[in-house]
Amino acid sequence: MDYYSGISFGAMIMIAFIAIAVFLYGMFLNIKKWSLGSTGYGLEPSNGSIGVFLKTLLAAIKEESPKKGHKQSLITTLVLDILLQRRILRRNPLRWFMHITIFVGWMALFIFSLIMFLFEVIELIGIELPLALHPEVLRDTMAVPNDVFSYILLVGIIIAIVRRLFISDVRENTIAYDSVFLAGLTIITVSGFVSDWIRIGLFVDYGIPEVASPPAAFFHVIISLLFCIAYIPYSKYMHMIAAPLVLLANKGGE
Amino acid sequence: MAKRTPSINTNNLTAVQIMEIDACTRCGECVDWCPTYDAKDKSPGLAPRDKIKRWKSFMDRSYGLRAKLFGPKPVNDDEMQEFSDDLYHCTTCGVCGTVCEVGINTVELWESIRANLVKRGNGPYGKQNMFPKLIKEYRNPYMKDQKDRLLWIPDDIKIAEKADVLYFAGCTAGFNQQVLGVCTARVMNKLNVPFMLLGEEEWCCCSALIRTGQPHIDDVPKVSAIHNVEAIEASGVKTVMFACAGCYRVATIDWPRLIGRKPRFKIVHIADILADHIKHGKIKWEKSLNNQIITYHDPCHLGRHCGVYETPRIVLENLPGARFVEMDRIRAEQRCCGAGGGVKAGIPDLAVGISSTRINDAQAVNADIMSSTCPFCRRNLGDGRDNVYGVTGTDFDLRDNPENEMQVEDMIVLVAELMGLSTKIKSQMEEE
Repeated sequence: MDYYSGISFGAMIMIAFIAIAVFLYGMFLNIKKWSLGSTGYGLEPSNGSIGVFLKTLLAAIKEESPKKGHKQSLITTLVLDILLQRRILRRNPLRWFMHITIFVGWMALFIFSLIMFLFEVIELIGIELPLALHPEVLRDTMAVPNDVFSYILLVGIIIAIVRRLFISDVRENTIAYDSVFLAGLTIITVSGFVSDWIRIGLFVDYGIPEVASPPAAFFHVIISLLFCIAYIPYSKYMHMIAAPLVLLANKGGE
Repeated sequence: MAKRTPSINTNNLTAVQIMEIDACTRCGECVDWCPTYDAKDKSPGLAPRDKIKRWKSFMDRSYGLRAKLFGPKPVNDDEMQEFSDDLYHCTTCGVCGTVCEVGINTVELWESIRANLVKRGNGPYGKQNMFPKLIKEYRNPYMKDQKDRLLWIPDDIKIAEKADVLYFAGCTAGFNQQVLGVCTARVMNKLNVPFMLLGEEEWCCCSALIRTGQPHIDDVPKVSAIHNVEAIEASGVKTVMFACAGCYRVATIDWPRLIGRKPRFKIVHIADILADHIKHGKIKWEKSLNNQIITYHDPCHLGRHCGVYETPRIVLENLPGARFVEMDRIRAEQRCCGAGGGVKAGIPDLAVGISSTRINDAQAVNADIMSSTCPFCRRNLGDGRDNVYGVTGTDFDLRDNPENEMQVEDMIVLVAELMGLSTKIKSQMEEE
């Protein structure tokens, strides 16, 4: 069966599984590494059992802060610190705008892709879906939100690139760890736009016919799966998982 | 070929702290606020972000994917020692944690890594390695006899045999800056708040050991914590009062960790008691500051670490004749005085460099008096003041302040003076 952009669905599933497997192995390595720590201050290191990390994290979340006035509910941390990222806003509104656009854009596109993928699979295994949830109809329904959030993501990426190009302090302190992360995001976003523009015939005048859409989309999907899933535990993308957990453990931080 | 072993281990780091290293987004906000980085001509290795990056690199080389596949990559000794030295330049003030966009608890992280480095043989720094031996042997860092714990008390001060409040004086007020001890005691007497002392049973809080990553050496802080808490609980008091921010921090945060439970008494700072008396109109002032401008320096250990910001301000704002003004960088964003984290003992020049910047903050608001609530801030800000004004050889405890020079003084000394109480210590009284 051909996927909507002409990609073999089987090939995509296979790449997705590889990406998820690489991701899970990386997460296993990270959690194993974190679990080498102790369960509390001044205690002996643990035996490295993978449950140590979860146990320590839960204990930290539940622990009462000894600091006066440092009480915060879990929901406050989730909404204000993790979703709205007020700690960044307090420090630098531009950086907050850059980060929140990347965060919102990335998360929305990730969720949209996941929804599409799920309905493709549901249809593939033969479950009858209401018309509005048929992959082709759903894709059309999501076209506008997909575009909107892609542009939101692009705005954030452009700000990040511009900051690194034109603010000397930021430029001088950018290392490969940051550049690879940003380059990955940029390639994913740009390849997404390009494959979509090829699909709707925007590049026909430049000698790129619509039939070139499947390989372009395939490239975008591979890159997205590799960068947005597989590469997470091995790169700066890891902060997407570690930072919210730190905020939860530290009750939103100082 | 023998299999290589990781160059570093995870001793003293909790599982959450190891995760914190991976959460850093390298935004650089911490770099802009770090007082050490600022005072050392923005030396890149001193930036908190750089320290996290380097420790992450050490961890990855030892436990990352590459290490799993091909074996750990060594961290050479020079690299590790340089990292350790840089880490020991930190005052553990914690402003990097306050401004951290992902909320990393940096104070605890630096202290845990320091302990790891000490176990590895890379720390502590300079004279800091004397702390464990001194405190274990003398139960104070000043090499004084425990029997002399109460020698600072002049005849005019009344100490109760039994009371609801216990004053944990601390080594510095008891031995080194006795003016703080006598002023606290006289003020408490004047306010008719009976208090008792532990006397010889008061052991050093061991702040210096914990802050410099040496809590595990002979378990001195743990032994002291157990001793102090048990002695306090045995005394039957309901409240323990501190006038030292360092001791207060240890009692509030470190004692529960060291003894594995919450102590069965309430912990307050002298500022809390004074603010309460002021609110109820129970303080009778005898003198005035005559319209002098006063500003407040939040000690890291009292403010940022423990969240006590308001009560010292209530006290200072209500001093008769005081014009209270705030400096730049206050409360949670306060600029460190430079004495903490063992820096005053280990790298005194750096400590004075940082405190000089803080004095500049006070100068910018034309402060006549810069007050604080911590003996170490008092000492180091005094040294910074002398450095800025080019004064040498002053005896700080005699409060030798030339004309027109900014006065650096602890809140409790100002309160005692304005309540008409003597601020003379026992030796001064005996000389007269």
